[in-house]
Amino acid sequence: MQRDVQKALGFLMPMAIIMLGLVFYPIIRTFIFSLQRYKLTEPDKVGFIGFENYAAVLRSPAFHYAIVNTLLIMGIVLIVGLFSSIVVALILYGKTRLSGLLTAVAVIPWALPPVVNGVVWKFIFYPGQGFLNKLLYNLDLIDEPVRWLNTRFGTLLIVGLIVAWRTIPFCAIVFLANMQSIPQEVYDAAKVDGANSRKTFLYITMPHLMPSVAIALTNLTMSSINVFDEIAALVGFRNMGQPLLIYNYTETFSFMNFGYGSAITYIIMIASGVFGYFYIRSLHFGGGKS
Amino acid sequence: MMKKMKRILSIAMILVLTVSLAACGKKQEEAAKPLEGSEITFMIPEWGVPSQEMLDEFTAETGITVNVETVAWDDIRDKIAVAAAGKKAPADVIEVDWSWVGEFSSAGWLEPITLTQEDIDDIPSLSSFTVDGKILGIPYANDFRIGYYNTEIYEKAGLTEPKTWDDVAAQMKAIKDQNLLANPYTLPLTAGEGTTTSMIWLTYLRDGKVFNDDNTLNKENVMKTLEFVDSMIKQGLINPVNTTTKDIDTYRQLTNGEAAFMVGPTSFVGRANDEKESKVVGKIMPIVPPGGTEKATQTMALVEGIGVTKYSENKEAAEVFVKWYTSKQMQAKMYDEQSAIPTRTTVLKELIDTGKMKNTGAMLETSKLIQSPFPTGVPKYYAEMSSAIYNAVNKMALGQLTPEQAFEEMNAKVTSLAKQ
Repeated sequence: MQRDVQKALGFLMPMAIIMLGLVFYPIIRTFIFSLQRYKLTEPDKVGFIGFENYAAVLRSPAFHYAIVNTLLIMGIVLIVGLFSSIVVALILYGKTRLSGLLTAVAVIPWALPPVVNGVVWKFIFYPGQGFLNKLLYNLDLIDEPVRWLNTRFGTLLIVGLIVAWRTIPFCAIVFLANMQSIPQEVYDAAKVDGANSRKTFLYITMPHLMPSVAIALTNLTMSSINVFDEIAALVGFRNMGQPLLIYNYTETFSFMNFGYGSAITYIIMIASGVFGYFYIRSLHFGGGKS
Repeated sequence: MMKKMKRILSIAMILVLTVSLAACGKKQEEAAKPLEGSEITFMIPEWGVPSQEMLDEFTAETGITVNVETVAWDDIRDKIAVAAAGKKAPADVIEVDWSWVGEFSSAGWLEPITLTQEDIDDIPSLSSFTVDGKILGIPYANDFRIGYYNTEIYEKAGLTEPKTWDDVAAQMKAIKDQNLLANPYTLPLTAGEGTTTSMIWLTYLRDGKVFNDDNTLNKENVMKTLEFVDSMIKQGLINPVNTTTKDIDTYRQLTNGEAAFMVGPTSFVGRANDEKESKVVGKIMPIVPPGGTEKATQTMALVEGIGVTKYSENKEAAEVFVKWYTSKQMQAKMYDEQSAIPTRTTVLKELIDTGKMKNTGAMLETSKLIQSPFPTGVPKYYAEMSSAIYNAVNKMALGQLTPEQAFEEMNAKVTSLAKQ
């Protein structure tokens, strides 16, 4: 028995060392930074200041602005992402000859690195010469180029759609796997009872999908909180439309304020953790009920 | 016998003399290469990488080996910052953009370099790399602001070279009114660094003083610039897409024949005459930029330099390399190989005089006007200040702020930074 434990510990050790070095140490180190006045351009003023950085972040209008932007992106991503994922899963669930090909095609946006994703969309929305403007121009729908990214909400809407587009494949695959696990007998029984396809979906498919909904919501939420590359590629580090991660990057690396930036990182991490906790909790209860 | 002895003695003496001279020569050679065997690293963007042949020449000359790390310009600053946080040198010699000098100096990441007065006088843009009398980097690639106009459009419109910014405003309107171009003037307006520098140089060219002596913004002059830009936008003289277009694409409107006038980077002297890049070859005239009441008497340089890092373990060898890399001979070679515009006036003059650099217009004349708009050097908070300026200008260009509101927004941030 003891030998088994030792063997298990031996197998776990490499992963534990990697986790300690690459996960726990940076987390602790970031927390220590967050309690310091630590601006690289002012090396003489480095020192412990307690939670002052956190207080400064929470009081900062720029931080509030970034939170609102992130929440707006999240709202768009959750609505569009959840709805579209289920629709895509339903399409893929319908067994046709093209199912395999369609599944492979559907996965492409998920496989694209976010920065490539950002660059692709940048070409589409590029002012003046962008693909979308050219398309609309060729279709005689516009006389002069539309400036897609010139307003805050326009930018956030586009970013939300792009993040949703990137995240939908994963969520759709999760829903698809979940749908495929629902016993056929349940559908057969519903058919015998005279249930139409809408009722079948509402009363059989959806309740069975609830555990996957929690996973999809977690994924969509995390993707919208962590949006960076797409925004950086589309509008750079413009304040207007700046979400939390861009705000964090700007303060930490552009302004070299590691103390303040670390506090922002911790606040974002805690917020992500809270979202994650509630989703997982709902997954537990939802899963239990279903 | 005596004769034979004399001969033997003569031969022996010659041999001794030869050996001594050879030994002496070797010692002199060693003395000429005191850093023989040193190895340094050099972090530079793609456009500043010297050829292997040049590096071999340097090694043969000094005995120092150089390992080049080609890194994207955007990433260099992050790498330097992260390495410095761990008290490490990312490389012995690094790229130093003029806009990084304030923060790098404040953080103490650069070693001072000594130069002769002759060299100092030969490189006007050195002022951007000098803090409290210490030279923290030497510019290797020049980029100062120069005026350009399209001679064909100007001829059609019956106009002559502008002398003041009021002339520019009137001329742009005339070109638009005559339907020669829809948006004849071009200027970066996106939320990016190019917009901040445009704001600074436009004020500098026009009214001289951008910042007060306490580093706060000079309201009168900056307001004039904001009102000028706002008026140009409202009259449709600047293409509205400039609010989201990269600054290089903004400047390309001139070489695409979509704009008739701009003040922009010196690289467009070459670009305008390059058939691959320009649709208006031979039609673009580089001129001394306009000023407030007459031609500008000063211009701003946005140069790239290199410096020696504080945490370098081979500072001496690194300094030798920096001086070699920015020497007259190397600047001429770098122009041949990379089209890098020299920062030394003598080299620039030689290239123009020998006809290697063509259609330069008032380039040499303008290069002598280079000065720094920062009264106390580039501030350590430049990045934060730049962000506040370009965001305010961008919002004004998008019609979300009036010039007065844009000034108040940027001024609040700049004043708070200056007072810290």
